[in-house]
Amino acid sequence: MLKMNKVSKVFKTELVETHALRDFNLTVNEGEFVAVTGPSGSGKTTFLNIAGLLEPFSQGEFELDGIDVANLNDNQRTQIRNEKIGFIFQGFNLIPDLNLAENVEVPLRYRGMGRKERQQRVNAALEQVGLGSRHKHLPSQLSGGQQQRVAIARALAGEPRFLLADEPTGNLDSLMARQVMELLEDINRKGTTIIMVTHDPELARRAQRNIQIVDGQVCDFTMYQPQQESNKDVQLEEALSE
Amino acid sequence: MFLHYLDLAWRSIRKTPALSLLMVTAIAIGIGITTTTLNIYQMMALNPTGERSEQLHAVQLWSHGPDTWDEFHMQITYQDAMNLRNLAPQFKQLAQMRSGMVIQVDSDKFEPELRAVRVTDSDFFSMFSVPFLYGTSWGEQVDKDAAYHVVISEKYNQKMFGGGDNVGKTVYLNRKPYQVVGIVDNWNPQPKFFDPMNGAFRDAEEVFVPFSLLPIEKFQVWGNISGWKHEDTKNFSDTVKSEKVWIQYWVELNSQESRQQYKQILTGYIDEQKALGRFTDNKTSADSSRLNTVAQWLSIAEVIKEDNRILVGLSFLFLSVCLVNILGLILTKFLKRTSEVGVRRAIGASRMHIFSQYMVEVGIIGLLGGLVGLALASGMLYLLGEKFGMDSSLISMSNSMWFIAPFIAIMTTLVAGIFPAWKVCHTKPSVYLKSQ
Repeated sequence: MLKMNKVSKVFKTELVETHALRDFNLTVNEGEFVAVTGPSGSGKTTFLNIAGLLEPFSQGEFELDGIDVANLNDNQRTQIRNEKIGFIFQGFNLIPDLNLAENVEVPLRYRGMGRKERQQRVNAALEQVGLGSRHKHLPSQLSGGQQQRVAIARALAGEPRFLLADEPTGNLDSLMARQVMELLEDINRKGTTIIMVTHDPELARRAQRNIQIVDGQVCDFTMYQPQQESNKDVQLEEALSE
Repeated sequence: MFLHYLDLAWRSIRKTPALSLLMVTAIAIGIGITTTTLNIYQMMALNPTGERSEQLHAVQLWSHGPDTWDEFHMQITYQDAMNLRNLAPQFKQLAQMRSGMVIQVDSDKFEPELRAVRVTDSDFFSMFSVPFLYGTSWGEQVDKDAAYHVVISEKYNQKMFGGGDNVGKTVYLNRKPYQVVGIVDNWNPQPKFFDPMNGAFRDAEEVFVPFSLLPIEKFQVWGNISGWKHEDTKNFSDTVKSEKVWIQYWVELNSQESRQQYKQILTGYIDEQKALGRFTDNKTSADSSRLNTVAQWLSIAEVIKEDNRILVGLSFLFLSVCLVNILGLILTKFLKRTSEVGVRRAIGASRMHIFSQYMVEVGIIGLLGGLVGLALASGMLYLLGEKFGMDSSLISMSNSMWFIAPFIAIMTTLVAGIFPAWKVCHTKPSVYLKSQ
C-alpha cells in the first residue's frame, strides 16, 4: 500500500543542509493503523508530508497504492492527494468562512463531482461523525472536538484509501481525544489505512503498529497489544461512566 | 466551478470590506480619469458622415502669391467659389459661410434675438443628409436667382412658433421677411465637420438662408477671414473682390472617375487663373488644389488636438500607477490567505484551481472598480460641462464607454492580479498546514 525504500529528504539553505529523513524504509499494508512517534524534530511531519505527497523527497523510492510517485508532476500528485488520501491535522484546518457542509464538500468540488453526489457524500460523512444536524454551522461555532470531527468528515467524504493524521488529538482535551480516537478506529475497522503521527504514547499504543522515528530513520516497530491499555485510559473510562 | 469561485470571491470581498473598498476606489479613480479623457477623445474622433465620408470633399485652393506661408487655407475666395460653381454645374457642390442675423417673427411670445445663420446652397441639405420634418430646401433656381427663403430647425420652430408645420410662414431676418420653406428634424452632427474652423464642437446653426442672397444682403461674416497679403477691404464689395478667403466650398464626388474629372477641372481653372495673373506662387496647377474627404478634413482641421492625445496617454499612465498600488493591495490580501490555500492544495486543489479562484476575485474587484469608475467619469464629464463650459457633444458619455470602461477595468486589474495569484498558487501547502 505504502512502500518507502531508502527515502531521504534534505532541506538546503545557503549555509546548511538538514537531513530530515535518511534512508527511510517503511512498508504499510492495506487496512493497517500505524502510529508514528518520535521526539520533536525527528522527522515525523516530514515523513507525513512526503507520504501525503505534499512535499517531494530528495532520494529513494516511494510507491503509493502501486504508483511510483517519484516522477509525478504537481497536477498528478494533486490528483492522487484528492482521490486517494485524506488529511487530518492537529489544527483542524477548516476554512473559517465556509459552513460545515461546504468545508466537507471542498475536496469533492475539486474532483469535479456533481452536486447531487456531493450532497449525498457530505450528508453521509457528517452523519458518520455525529454532526448530521449541523450542516449550516460555521467552524467557529463548534468545539475543538467537533471541529476535528468535521475535518475527519472532510477526509472521509472523498472515500480515501489512506488517512494521514498529524497529531489529530493534539489540541483536544482527553475526552474529545478519546472520541476522535474511537472514530479513527472505527474508520480503520471499515478498511481505511491510517497513518497517525502522535506524541502521545497512550494513543500510539492503540494503533496496530508503532513506528518510532529518531533522527530521520525508523528505529523501532511495536505491534499493537490490546491488553496493554494504560491506567490513564482506564481512569478516564471510569470517570466517564460515573 | 466558476459560480463557486464567484461565491468565494464575494465572501472574500465582504470579509475585508475596508481593503476591498480601497482597491475598488483605486481602480475607480484610475478608470474614471481614463474613461473621461478617452470619452472626450472618442467623441472628437467621430466621423458623423459614415460611408458618405469618402464622397463629400472639401475644396482647398493655393491662391497665394510667391513667398507666402506654406499651408493651404481651409477656405477659398468668394470669386473662386463663384467661378467653381459655374464651371462644374454637373456636380453637386455648395458654397457657404457663417453669418449672424437678428431674428424676429410676428409673435409677442418670441423676443427678437441675434443668432448664427448658415448661408449656403440648396445642395447643403442633400449632400449632408439633412432630414426634413416639414417642407424641403429651397429650389436650385433660388441658388441662381436668389429668393428670401429660409429653412429652420425643429427646435427653433418650437421656439418661434410653438412647433407644427409652419412652412409658408414668415420669419424676419435683419428685418427682412423670409418665407419658411422647410423645417429640419433633429440634426446636429458632431464634430461639426462642414465647418470645423468655426468651432468643431459647436452646435449646427438652426437657421439656413440661400447663398445667392449674399451679394444682395451683404451678410456679416461670423467666421474667419484671412489672406496671404495685405488688402484694405473697407466694405463688402472690397471683400468680395479681394484675395481674402472666407468661403467654405464642398463638392460631392461619388466615384474615383468623378474625383479625377473634378481634379482636372480644378487644374484647368488654376491654369486659367495663372494666365490672368492670380495663383502666382511656383506650385504647379495640379498641386495648387486639394480635395479632402471628411476624414481628411477633420484631420486637417485638427479636431483632435495633440494635447488630447497626450492627455489620453497620461491618463493611461495614471491608471497604470493605480494598478501598481492595487497589485500591492491584492498581494497583501492574498498572502494573508496562504494558510487557507495550503489547506485547499492539500485536499486536492490544483494550482490552476487556486489561480482561477483568485483571478475571479480580482476580476470582480475590477468590475466593481469599473462600474464606480464609470459613475465617477459621468460626474467628471458633468463637471467639465458645468464648470468649464465644455461642449455638450464632448461631455455626453459615449454608448461604447459603458462597455469599454468595465472591460478596461477588468482586464487591467486581471493583469495586476496575475502576480499575486501566481504567487499564492505556488504556496507550499506543507509550510502552512502546521502553522494554522
